[in-house]
Formats: sequence, structure tokens, C-alpha cells
Amino acid sequence: MSAKPKDTTDIVAGLSMMAAAAFFGWHTAGLEIGTSLRMGPGYFPMVLSGLLFVLGLIILLRSFGREDDEPFGKVAWRGLLFILPAPIFFGLTVRGLGFVPALFFTTLIASQASMRMRPLAALILAVAVTILSTLIFSYGLGLPFRRFGPWLGM
Amino acid sequence: MTASITRRLLLGAAMALGLAGAAAAEYPDRPITLVIPFAAGGSTDVVGRIVAERMSQELGQQVIVQNVGGAGGSLGAAQVAKADPDGYTILMATVATHALNPLILKQKPYDPVADFAPVSLLVLVPNVLAVNPELPVNTVQELIDLAKAEPLAYASSGNGTPLHLSGELFKAMAGVDITHIPYKGSGPALTDVLGNQVPIIFDNLPSASGHIASGKLRALGVTTAERAPSFPDIPAIAETLPGYETYTWNALFAPAGTPPEAVEALNKAALAAMADPAVAERMKEFSATIVASSPEELAEHVKAEMAKWEPVVRDANVSLD
Amino acid sequence: MELFSNLALGFSVASSLENLAFCLIGVLLGTLIGVLPGIGATATIAMLLPITFQLEPVSSLIMLAGIYYGAQYGGSTTAILINMPGESSSAVTAIDGYQMARKGKAGTALALAALGSFFAGSVSTFLVALFAPPLTAVALKFGAAEYFSLMVLGLVMSVALAHGSVLKALAMVVLGLLLGMVGTDIYTGAPRFTLGITQFADGLNFVAVAVGVFGIAEILRNLEDEHDRQVMTKNINRLFPTREELRQMIGPVLRGTGIGSILGILPGGGAILASFASYTIEKKVSRHPEEFGKGALAGVAGPESANNAGAQTSFIPLLTLGIPANPVMALMIGAMIIQGIVPGPNVVSEQPALFWGIVASMWIGNLMLVVLNLPLIGLWVKLLSVPYYVLFPIIMAMCSIGVYSVNSNSYDLFAVAFFGLLGYVMSKLRCEPAPLLLGFVLGPLLEENLRRAMILSRGDPTTFLTRPISATLLVMSLIVLVLVFMPQIRKRRDEVFTESDA
Repeated sequence: MSAKPKDTTDIVAGLSMMAAAAFFGWHTAGLEIGTSLRMGPGYFPMVLSGLLFVLGLIILLRSFGREDDEPFGKVAWRGLLFILPAPIFFGLTVRGLGFVPALFFTTLIASQASMRMRPLAALILAVAVTILSTLIFSYGLGLPFRRFGPWLGM
Repeated sequence: MTASITRRLLLGAAMALGLAGAAAAEYPDRPITLVIPFAAGGSTDVVGRIVAERMSQELGQQVIVQNVGGAGGSLGAAQVAKADPDGYTILMATVATHALNPLILKQKPYDPVADFAPVSLLVLVPNVLAVNPELPVNTVQELIDLAKAEPLAYASSGNGTPLHLSGELFKAMAGVDITHIPYKGSGPALTDVLGNQVPIIFDNLPSASGHIASGKLRALGVTTAERAPSFPDIPAIAETLPGYETYTWNALFAPAGTPPEAVEALNKAALAAMADPAVAERMKEFSATIVASSPEELAEHVKAEMAKWEPVVRDANVSLD
Repeated sequence: MELFSNLALGFSVASSLENLAFCLIGVLLGTLIGVLPGIGATATIAMLLPITFQLEPVSSLIMLAGIYYGAQYGGSTTAILINMPGESSSAVTAIDGYQMARKGKAGTALALAALGSFFAGSVSTFLVALFAPPLTAVALKFGAAEYFSLMVLGLVMSVALAHGSVLKALAMVVLGLLLGMVGTDIYTGAPRFTLGITQFADGLNFVAVAVGVFGIAEILRNLEDEHDRQVMTKNINRLFPTREELRQMIGPVLRGTGIGSILGILPGGGAILASFASYTIEKKVSRHPEEFGKGALAGVAGPESANNAGAQTSFIPLLTLGIPANPVMALMIGAMIIQGIVPGPNVVSEQPALFWGIVASMWIGNLMLVVLNLPLIGLWVKLLSVPYYVLFPIIMAMCSIGVYSVNSNSYDLFAVAFFGLLGYVMSKLRCEPAPLLLGFVLGPLLEENLRRAMILSRGDPTTFLTRPISATLLVMSLIVLVLVFMPQIRKRRDEVFTESDA
């Protein structure tokens, strides 16, 4: 084993928090700080960014000299690749393609995140979800979505 | 009674399913989306829904209300400005979307004149200056005198809203300084004035009317040039400060380039809706004055409002990025 | 007695066949829509609002109220079953409820939630009937300074939400507070952290954040290793709680009801704290605080009761003052105006049938909910036997619709993806989402009230100490802080407890 034990997870956590603090702190720079008595829009965020930075630093420092009790484990790359784009796709296309096709593809994309999902099953699932949701939300609740959008020339 | 339940349920179901009316051969031949640029439940939403329901009957097509709230109405207005000019997407505009925001916003997401085809100015809604009854003033003049003697604060529904600017115009014309305390909407502002955390408020008359009637708020004046028909006892601020006039208004717009036939059909439907006695009754309860103008009158109105607010916005130094 | 004649009037209105039917439709629709992932009470009401416009005023408000608590109920079900909260309150339920579900005790968790909610709903409805007007007077005593101090107390308590490192929990609260700052500054109109995107001018959407850091992060974790990892235990032995479990829930439910009822009255956002505060208290008084976060009964029963009690009492400022305590109540005000009712203090005296009818219907609606939902538990639990790879694409589809339906804003969906990623990274770094979410909802309130209090006191910071309610709340915060950060004291206190028990 390495001579100096360290908690890798907490090192990354501490550094990420400091990075987040730096991001918020940097964006606070353009805002008026004001005084404690008459606070500007930048006052509260500046205090918070400072606090987050200090907390991140303490977490970083305390991670040395300690064993990582629960290491990283696997990363769901396939999940990340298909789950996260699903809502983005829906957001980009619901107005243009319309509710029905946008939802169909969203479900299809999301279903690819599992390697157990076979193509035919995914297709059936997407069709079923689309039909049921259209019935419930569009017809049943009368949500103001266009079922088929202008991109389809309808 | 059972029959009435059934009827109502059927009616509700029919509305929900979008089965209202048979399709006409020409415009409109499919449902129209009315974008309300504020969250559901607000005064613009209420006016919009009442009008949409009646216009659906006139047009033979459902007018579907879609709330696109955010950024003081700018998001919804920008969405309609960019929509296809086919008459199937229209906007319930207000003084905020078509006079104040374009003056206040540094980055202008749309042009209130060039990007829109006016349809009709529907209603004017008065604002009201009211105080907590514990504040020892009964008239606008007494308030001005008190404000000159000691520091006061007033609540509004937010920075850059018509109510905030009504307050700023009041301060400018009366020559007093009253600290502005912005809230996120009318509700929280009212709460703090009722609890006497803040003594003064500028609010929409419809939202404050229940509290004025019950005596929990003392109305000093309405912001319209004349007294409001629903509250003839409340003087107009203009009686003390001649020339003072602000109000909130609601108007229908289509995107620029919408075919004139469609604008005409929409205008006709809107006028018919506003002429309906039931709608008129609702609007009266709501303290709104019906205008029901032509498209040309609305275009003039927008120009006049922008000209009126421009110096107020400049002097109050209100700007949003 | 006046109360009884009022209640009699209320029940005669609420128990007309027509109103019973609308109450039933309301709770049923509310539960069914609210149970869909990513769709909370606000989205449900916004969707169903137009349907109620055709009805009589009383019926319409009864149905809307039914939709509201039905949706809250449905939201808790989703939080327990798939870790997907649609409201800030059910985020707390998700912490231990979901862990119970993973251990095969989904049925027990759902039954606890149902019974706790029913009890809390009944008690707080009674409180509404009995004390509505005097309670309103108390609520109006809360100004900016008081709300600030209350939020401080809430934040201090929030550290107990975490079951891991206190330091990381604090960091998550602060990160949440910062995320809550995103949007337009209400005092100056300056945009903060919006990256120039106008769509974020009103801040990040709560549902997007909650669905992302809780639900989507959980889906990603479950997809890490589909072969060896089982999402749910297959052996679900029984649906209903044992006598022993029922006995254990009495304390948490009583305390939760009390906390929720009090906080719900405050129109400036007190109800937000109800479930968080209840969770903290349960964890503090529990003899097994280490069970919290791993499926503690009290961690479900307490917050669920608090949440439901708060939901009922938040009708008090609405009905007696015409003031909305939350976005759902704002929608109800809109509904009242559309119906030609002027919301305000006069509703009680001018429309007694309406006021008492709604109060009575709240109790009836809660009864309907428990009767409807106890049998449904079996069905919900069966839902968990659907293979996960079929379930999660459906979840993704539903939350896309739900998040979009609130404001038709595509950027809210982009935020879902972003916060899903953030939540997943956080879980990899063993940082918990609940403190972040609490910080997110409290951040804007904390800052808004701090700055308002300072303006109103003309820059005098002693305003927080010279106002008695505010000072009391700050002293309570200090006590909690001492209890959390001085383990010696905590240890000694635990010893005292053990001795007195023996």
C-alpha cells in the first residue's frame, strides 16, 4: 500500500467544491457588492462563494492521512450517454416536431441506456408510452401542446 | 340536480377533449393558442381565460390558454413575436410586455411595435394606492405631508413592474422620497402591508379590492384619471396631483405579418366577447374597464404608453439587463 | 356553539352528492397525475385548473383543494417508489422512504405515509376550523426579520438531513443556497449567474433540480452495473405495517402534525420547512439516529405528517386573508377570482357556506384519500416488479412532459439533464442531495428577507434581536448549533436519556 493514505473521493469532492466556489465567485465579480447595511446583489453570493471555498479546502485537507473507505466504483457511461440527452432532445424538438414525435424519440433514446433493452422491445415501449401519454395529457387534460409540429409540414 | 351534474361533467369533458365547435372551412380551422406571459392565477391570466372561453364560441375553434411565464412577461411575448404569423398563436399583452419591459430591458428580446400585429385593446385595470389603517393618513395630501416629515416605505409586486413605476411616478410628481420595497408578486407584498411591516402599497385594484372593502387596507386613491366605477368613493390620485395617471391594461396581439383576414376575425371575436353581458359583468367585478378597441387604436395606444413611460423609467433609473 | 353550527353548515355543503363527487374526482385525479414522476402539486393544479372553471364556485374550489392534497399524496408515492420527488416536501420522504422500498418494505412505507397523512390532515383541518382567525393574526406578526431568523433555524437544522459527513452536508447547503441565487435579483433587477440566458431570469425550476439530483442520479446509479445489482429486493413480504411498527409511528406522527400545523400558517414560506424540520427532530430524538437515511420508519412517518398538516393549515392565510402561501395557493386565488369571489378577509363572513364547505371537504377528502390509497398500495408495489429497464424510459418520458408542462420552457429540460449529471457526480463523491435541495429552496427566502429587514430597519442589524419572535428563533438556532457541533454534549445527553429510560 502507499505510504501516505489518502481519501481520493474527498480530494475530488473538495477540489470540485472549490471549483464551484470559484465559478460563482467569478460571476459575482461583475455585481455590485454594497455594504452590510445596504446589500447589493453581489453581497450574499460573495459571502456564500467564500464559505463554499473554505469548506472545500477543509474537506481537501482532511482527506490526507485517511483511507478511502468506499472507492469510486463503476461509472454508468452508457446511462450518461443516453439518459441525459433524453430530456434535452424533448426540449429541443417538442415545439418543432410536436408532442407525439418528440415524446416517441425521447422514450426511444432513454431506453437505449440499458443494455438489456432489445430494439423491438424499445420500439414497442416507445409506441405504447407515446400513445398513452398523448391520450392522457393531450386529449384527457387538454395540455396546450401541438401534437404534430410545423417541422413536419402539417 | 343529477342532470345538472351530468351536463357540467359533459361540458367539462368536452372542453378538456377539445371538442368545442365544428371546424370551419377557412380561418380558423384548428385551435388557436393564446399565450399568457404570466403564471396561471394572476390577473392577466384571469382576464385571458375569461376572454378565451368566450372567443372560442365566437370563432368556432377552441382558444387554448398557454401560460409562458418568466422574466416579467418577456419570455411569453418573445415567443409569440417569433411564432409563425398564421393567426394561430396570439398574445395576451399587458402594459409590462408592450410598454415597460421594452423601455427597461437593456437587451431587448423583441420590438413591441415592429414584431406584432395589434388586434384589440381589451380592458384597462386601475391600480390603487393604499395604506395600512394604522398609518395616520386619510388622504393623498396627508400622505405627501407625512412623507416629507418622516421616512416611509412602500411595497410593490417587484422591480420594474407597473406598480413599482406607478409608485415612482407618484414620488416624482409629489416631490417626496419613499423607499421602495420590492416583493415577488402582489401576494407577499399585500401580506406585509396587512401585517403593517410596510405601511404603504401600490397594487392592482382587483387584487386589493377585498382588503379595501373589509377595511384591512385604507385606499387613498386610484391611479386612473377618473374614479373607478366599482369604487366610486375612492378619489383619483389625479384629484390631488393633476395629470397623474397610470393603469394596467390587457390587449391582444398577433405576430407581425399575420394575414389581415385573421386579425380581423380575431378582432371581431374579441369585440363580441367583450360585448357579452356575462363577460362585462365579470370584468366589472374585476374592476376592469372595457375598451374593446380596433387594431389601429391599439397601435396608437402602445405608442402613447411608450411615450408616457419613457421619462418615468429614465428618471426612476430603473433598468434590467 | 358557533363552531358546531359552522361545521354543520360546512358538512351539509360538502356532503351534497355533487360536491362529494367533485371532491372524489379531485383527489383521484390529483393522486393519479401527482404520482407520475416529475409532476408535483403545482404542475398538477396548473394542468387541471381549466377543467374546474365550468363548475360552481364551491364545487370548483373543493375539487381544486382535492387535487392539491391528492397530488401531494401521489408525489410522496413516487418519492418512495422511485426516489423522484416532485415537491420540496416529498424530497424528505424520498430519503428514507426509498431506502425502505429498496429493502422490500415499500408497502409499509406507503401505508405509514397514508395513515400519518390522514391523521395529520384530520387534526389540522380541525385546527383550521377552530383557530383560523386568531392564527392569522399570529402569521401577520412575521415580518422580514422573523422570516430571516426562521430560515436560519431551518438551515442550521438541515445539517441533520445528512447521514454522512457534516462538513460535506454544510458544503451542499451552501452550494444549494448559491444555486438558489440564480435569476434576477429582486431588489436591483440585476441578473445573477444566468449566463445570459433569459429563460433563467426567474431562477432555476425547482422540479428540474429535484428530479435531476434525486431521480435521474438514482437511475444512473442503478444503470452502473445491471448484472450484479438489483434495484429492488424481490421478496416483498407484506404490505401493511405490523402492530409494533404502528406503535413506533405514533410519536413521529404527533410531532410532525404539530410542527406542520404551525409552520403551515406562515404565508411567507413556513410550510417549506415543515418536512425538513420534522425529519431533523425525529433524528434528534431517535434512539437509533444511525438508521436515518437507511430506511427509518420515523423518517417517513414524521415528515409525511408534517407535510400534510402544513398543506392543510396553509389554507388558513388563503381563506382568512386571501393571501397565497405558495404557488398552489396563488392558483387557487386565481380560481376564486375567475369564479367571481373576491378573496380577502370577508370570505368567511360573506360566504360562510363556501368557507366551511371547503374546510369540511378537506376532512372528507383526506378520508377518501386513505380509503382509496390503502388498497392501491398493493398495485403500486406490484409496479416495482416491472423490470427496471422498462420502468426508467417511462420515468424519463413522464418527467420530460411534467417539467415542460409547468412553463413551456425548454431550458427547464436542459436543467434537468444538467442536474441529473450533477446529482450523479455528487453521489460518486458521497455528497447527499437533500441538504442541497433545502439550501436551494431556502436561499432566495433567506437573502430576500435579510435584505428587506435591513432596508426596513434602515441598516440597523439589531432589528433581528430586538424583535422578540426573531430573537427567540435565533436563540433556538444557537441551541441547535451547539447540539450539532459539540459531540461531547450530545454524548452526555444521550447518556442522560439512557439512564432515564432504564
